[in-house]
Amino acid sequence: MACRTVCQLLQRRLASSAASVRLSPAEVRGQRSAVFSREQARQRALYPRTEKIEVTLQIPGLQGTLLVMNKGVSTPHSCARHLTEWYVTSSALALVDGNPWPLHQPLTQSCSLSLLTFKDTDPLLVNQAYWRSCAALLGQVLEDAFKEDFSVELIRVPEVLVTSGAFCCDVVLDPQLDAWNPSEESLRSLTRGAQQLIHRDLPWEPLEVVPPVALEVFSHSRCKQEEVEEKSAQSPKGTVMLYRCGDHVLLSGGPLVARTGLCSQYEVTAIHPLGEGEWGLHRRAQGLSLPFQLQAHHTVWRKLRSRAEKLVEVPTGSANEAVSDTLTPPSAPKQTPPHTAQQ
Amino acid sequence: MRLNIQMLISHGRVARKMGLGPESRINMLRNILTGLVRHERIETTRGRADEVRFYAEKLIDYAKKGDTDEKAMKMANFWLTEKDLIPKLFKVLAPRFETQPKAYTRMARIPNRENLDKAAMAVLEYKGNPFPPLQTAKRDNELTLINQLLKGYREERAQQAAAKVEA
Repeated sequence: MACRTVCQLLQRRLASSAASVRLSPAEVRGQRSAVFSREQARQRALYPRTEKIEVTLQIPGLQGTLLVMNKGVSTPHSCARHLTEWYVTSSALALVDGNPWPLHQPLTQSCSLSLLTFKDTDPLLVNQAYWRSCAALLGQVLEDAFKEDFSVELIRVPEVLVTSGAFCCDVVLDPQLDAWNPSEESLRSLTRGAQQLIHRDLPWEPLEVVPPVALEVFSHSRCKQEEVEEKSAQSPKGTVMLYRCGDHVLLSGGPLVARTGLCSQYEVTAIHPLGEGEWGLHRRAQGLSLPFQLQAHHTVWRKLRSRAEKLVEVPTGSANEAVSDTLTPPSAPKQTPPHTAQQ
Repeated sequence: MRLNIQMLISHGRVARKMGLGPESRINMLRNILTGLVRHERIETTRGRADEVRFYAEKLIDYAKKGDTDEKAMKMANFWLTEKDLIPKLFKVLAPRFETQPKAYTRMARIPNRENLDKAAMAVLEYKGNPFPPLQTAKRDNELTLINQLLKGYREERAQQAAAKVEA
């Protein structure tokens, strides 16, 4: 009898911890994707009747063209489809009333629209969005790369300037892999995984959600929930932007480009250990990528790649600060640069 | 000489025939060259522009010797039919090209003439002329992604070179 009570106690103890049992990564992804689809369907159902909005184009050569689109359904992508195929393939980001707007996000009111490409006179926004998208892709590849027994936690995607040479993604791997250092073969296989995703040409579907829904999406990941709270505190409307690519749901600090097919040259260059952090051994995965409209000759690519293997230092400040250049200016050679990677 | 079929076939012969004969060709080139020195940008047929290029650059080489040089003055006197251009050649054009070793002219092809002959035309100019440029070299915007990456790469190399110089 004492044995039975002990067994029941044990069962109850084990039952309470069963609620927090680790699901396999595939199940976690499926669950996140299901919550995302549900929220997406709910937001679409907010517009049961088709209402029309007027979109004025601000594209060189088509200034002032008026398009009559559907409210809550039409995206800048569908506006581009009304023009020519070149606009569809080359536009990476849209500017709606002067604000950067992901290409697949529905328009909700009459506005002015301009489509941004990589070869504009001022492609700064597009470059930053592209860098963020490549880092998000890197995070997705890392999540998929390891076997089911090993957990992968994406911590954050630091905002890095394009001139620093590589995009980075901070990640914490399973404690069993603390002694693992990536070899060239493993970096190449990660690159191959990324190239497969690029080949599938998946769109990054944006969704603006309130924090409770985002917390539900990331219910299995404590650091992601903290990131959601941080981002919702910073954003003016209190909402958080989620992006889905394939079946992965990601959180991002800014707009991403339209689809993975826009990247052509993509390589994962290095994974540097950063030291012990609050979630375990932090590692920084870095990569280099170029869009298909700006392909580099292989000699130029090799030079840029050797630079991208070096550790990129991210300035440790609050995320609200403007990201300063990680390189000290060459006009001050007397001072030893504080961010020396190799020395 | 033996009159044979090879005289009628001109394979591999690079020398152009212009006008009524060799003397006429030199006179024509002289007139075109005078016009070029006066206006610094002229429009002629493609063959004539190509021929004049050689003489225009040789004339600048002679002018660089200075107007005290006997041979240079004789050349300038022969080639420039309008004598008020001789001081312009020695005092304006020669100093302009002091630093350059060669390539003082630029030739750009333009659409065929509108006349019945539809001749292929070209514009010939001395570099450094005061007119707006004929063709701007198409360079990609400095702010594109690849140019920004290369800018960062160049800055890092400059930094490393400076650090090496110090050490």
